[in-house]
Amino acid sequence: MARKRTARPPPPPPPNPNPNRRAVASSAAAVPASASGPGSASSPSKRMLAFHFLRALARIHSATPVPRRSRTIRRAAYSSMARVANPRRVWTQALLRQVRVRRAMRSRRAVLLRRRVSAAPPTATPAPPLGGAGARSNVSAAGETSVAAAARARGGPPPRQAGEPARADALRRLVPGGSEMEYCSLLDETADYVVSLQAQVQLMQNLVDLFSGQ
Amino acid sequence: MSSGRRGRISDDEINELISKLQALLPESSRRRNANRSSASKLLKETCSYIKSLHREVDDLSERLSGLMSTMDNDSPQAEIIRSLLR
Repeated sequence: MARKRTARPPPPPPPNPNPNRRAVASSAAAVPASASGPGSASSPSKRMLAFHFLRALARIHSATPVPRRSRTIRRAAYSSMARVANPRRVWTQALLRQVRVRRAMRSRRAVLLRRRVSAAPPTATPAPPLGGAGARSNVSAAGETSVAAAARARGGPPPRQAGEPARADALRRLVPGGSEMEYCSLLDETADYVVSLQAQVQLMQNLVDLFSGQ
Repeated sequence: MSSGRRGRISDDEINELISKLQALLPESSRRRNANRSSASKLLKETCSYIKSLHREVDDLSERLSGLMSTMDNDSPQAEIIRSLLR
């Protein structure tokens, strides 16, 4: 079976009455096209990144109260990164798992709050202090990455390989999901993670320039 | 991994991965490390690079949130976002 070429150069944007539309999209996602080296993200994935991130930003703008925005934007940045990158990568899966855990925590916290509020009258059924304590311990466990917690449950990090330098531990802590990888995959995943981070930072920088230039 | 090899990743592969990683680091550190590509130094550079990228994401998130709050629904930026996502 002939293999189709999946990477086709995108067609040039057709001239349209609103020149801002295309120009902005391409500028936000692809401005430093000249700076692309051997390891940088491809431009279709940069466009996808822009799409996901901008969609999250629009949602945040309309739904999130102002004081919590910067944290939420930061989380949106990491989840856009993880959604656009290769889903078979360990760091991608680790990040997406964190997102799921956080979402579950949020809904659980909402349920507990409701329970505590409804159990306010002292004669009611004992407001679940266990539930409260349980939630608190969950929160602290989810403070570290869920992957690290799972790794500890599995009996510790993988044995260090011969020739692996001591610094690899610091790197493991920085790359999501790094605590479980072997040294060789750690290097590979790190390279991929760095490429995605660079694309994300580029995108955010372009957006900031765009919005503050107006 | 196949049992044909000695059961360990070969040094060549590791060196290749290390040089690939080195190529990603910003120019300034690459020049310094031109010939002294010791793995440990490279890992240290990579760690500090990743940390600086994380810090940049935090910083840019703050700036974006500040910029967004100064945006109202009729400003040109909001229009841009809307037109991009239509």
